[in-house]
Amino acid sequence: MPSEEIVKPRLAGRFPALADRIVLQRPRRFVVETPAGQFDEIARFAFGDLGFIYLCTITGLDEGDNLSFLYHLAHPDGTVLTIKRSVPKAAPTVASIGPLFPGGQIYERELVDMLGARVEGLPPGHRYPLPDGWPDGQYPLRKDWKPEMLDNPTANTAGGTHNG
Amino acid sequence: MAKVTVPIGPQHPALKEPESFSITLSGEQIIETNMRLGYNHRGIEKACEARTYIQDMYLVERVCGICSHSHSTCFITAVEEIAGLAVPPRAQYIRTLIAELERVHSHLLWLGVAGHEIGFDTLLMYSWRDREVVMDALAALTGNRVNYGINTIGGVRRDFTREQLDSLLKVVDVLEERTKYYIEVATEEPTLINRLSGVGTLPHDDAVRLGAVGPTGRASNVNRDVRRDDPYLAYADLQFDVIVDTHNDVYGRTLVRVGELMQTYRLIRQIVKQIPDGPVTVKAPRRIPAGEAVSRYEAPRGEDVHYVKANGTDKPERVKIRAPTLANLQSVSRMLENNNLADVPITLAAIDPCFSCTDRMIAVADPASGRRETLSWEALRQHGIRWYAGRGVDFAALNRKLGRKLGRNA
Amino acid sequence: MSLIKKVVTWARIKSPWIIHFNTGACNACDIEIVAALTPRYDIERFGILLKGTPRHADVLVCSGPVSRQIRDRLVRIYEQMPEPKFIVAVGTCACSGGVFQGCYNIQGGIDRVLPVAAYIPGCPASPAAIVDGVVKLLASLDAQSPAPDPADAQPTETEAHA
Repeated sequence: MPSEEIVKPRLAGRFPALADRIVLQRPRRFVVETPAGQFDEIARFAFGDLGFIYLCTITGLDEGDNLSFLYHLAHPDGTVLTIKRSVPKAAPTVASIGPLFPGGQIYERELVDMLGARVEGLPPGHRYPLPDGWPDGQYPLRKDWKPEMLDNPTANTAGGTHNG
Repeated sequence: MAKVTVPIGPQHPALKEPESFSITLSGEQIIETNMRLGYNHRGIEKACEARTYIQDMYLVERVCGICSHSHSTCFITAVEEIAGLAVPPRAQYIRTLIAELERVHSHLLWLGVAGHEIGFDTLLMYSWRDREVVMDALAALTGNRVNYGINTIGGVRRDFTREQLDSLLKVVDVLEERTKYYIEVATEEPTLINRLSGVGTLPHDDAVRLGAVGPTGRASNVNRDVRRDDPYLAYADLQFDVIVDTHNDVYGRTLVRVGELMQTYRLIRQIVKQIPDGPVTVKAPRRIPAGEAVSRYEAPRGEDVHYVKANGTDKPERVKIRAPTLANLQSVSRMLENNNLADVPITLAAIDPCFSCTDRMIAVADPASGRRETLSWEALRQHGIRWYAGRGVDFAALNRKLGRKLGRNA
Repeated sequence: MSLIKKVVTWARIKSPWIIHFNTGACNACDIEIVAALTPRYDIERFGILLKGTPRHADVLVCSGPVSRQIRDRLVRIYEQMPEPKFIVAVGTCACSGGVFQGCYNIQGGIDRVLPVAAYIPGCPASPAAIVDGVVKLLASLDAQSPAPDPADAQPTETEAHA
């Protein structure tokens, strides 16, 4: 049975509170917004039970008071399930999805650099994608960041490796 | 537009440039590889938020100078989905035609680059000579060799005549003959087979776990192709085989790409034959209603993913681009495990990376011997060619043979 | 300048060695630069040779809009080149930043950082345009630097090495 037909009933069956939040945007495109604290369970269920074994990428959004992260998971049969979770900008910490998707760490580093997310469990490694010497505290994809801010950098001796 | 100056910071006269790769060796054998990515970060996603959708289409087309149509189409498809536009079938066929011609020029380019990395330079000369045939065709159809600008929101900017379409059949005939010869070389020449086999091995499970896409993944038996799995443009109407291989190595990646070329010729013939009549564009609004879409496209390098969020204005709220090379770079460290330093250039080239290899610096360290040095890509390439030549894998004879067989320089 | 040095300089201009450097480009121009070396365009028939090291190069052929992280390396490569040396900006990005003008990680064209002797626009610049541009540069340099005349040699001059 194609995954498109089972996603909604099985996700809603396992997580009844999600029933109204599972949206089919168009054929082969689902979106579900997860409540805080349930992301890990839902992701593991999508991966292990529903067969969404590929992580395409993670999109970070600046939504004002919150940062949102969209995890785009793909099934071998072509369906994409986007799982959305949000955290307050004042405390933008999430756990790494590395245990499920090792290839996802580079996308998490991007969230750290570009939006100022904090990702727990990221192994030590080079930042991505900003260059070394990029001023601390400047997150280009935040809506309030403008390129002119680069002309007035704070101390920028930090560089090289950093954790999430 | 804002002017950006380099931040004033502590000046280090002997500023060490960042290495792109740090390789730990034991003698010639690779123990560990660390990569630093992001050298080509240009700030495109941020720029997209400050430009209109049409301006963004032209910007996004230039994410990669080889897969330009891939990025442009993947992006505009997401926008059209949000706007609820029904792109006319003839426009979808035209986009598909350009997509497959792009795949031809990209794979032929790759053949030449791969040849160059291992010292098989006649392969570079001949595959790039053949590539000029498709570059001429693309320029005749669209006005440019790369960055075709064929798309607009709601369709394509140009229509093609029956004569233009039919002329492609001759192009495909010529290229198919030459590609058959490359397949012969790839499957029958021991020098090439030996050089590429067992190099850059990526077992199937690791390919899945690390998210390998495109020919890189398919050479490790990861049977994914967006054109078949998540059809877009005209692919649902067209017949083609997805080429998968089980070698798991650079040799497999070579076979997959030449096999894909043959399938691409098949697709182009079908498109020329069955392209429907009709308009090539529908009217599109300037302001795109609020909404979001995830668009996927099988670029020559693999799955390209774009996410677009619209907010009712003439500029997007968010554009996210995940090019296929970023997915495949995650597998390179695994591929290089237990390989030799001499294998680095061809292993990296075999994922067909969308960045310029020629100016990467590689840091090499062998803790046991105390060796520590920084090599340019060119130096590493020469090292690889010499090292293998010293072990009997030498392309001098094959270069002469190919030169004789394919005649004088065209 | 000693006679030997004059001859060497003139010979370099007649048959320059070039080094190719990408300052953050999308690769389209880089591929066209390499294509200019393939038999169809064959820039080598003008005596132009692609060299791997700046220490022997006369002409620096640059693509790309100069990203933040590559800028210092670009300058260092230029500094390693002996005089006389010339920069050719290949492609619209190298000329002016192209579509990437205003992107925060981009300087916006080679001449924001270093002096450019020739601009070859195009997105990408075609191999034919690249060959044309390089040949025009050589012609303009030739017009400024005619072949040295042995009669110019002064008897008391020591022949210093270049």
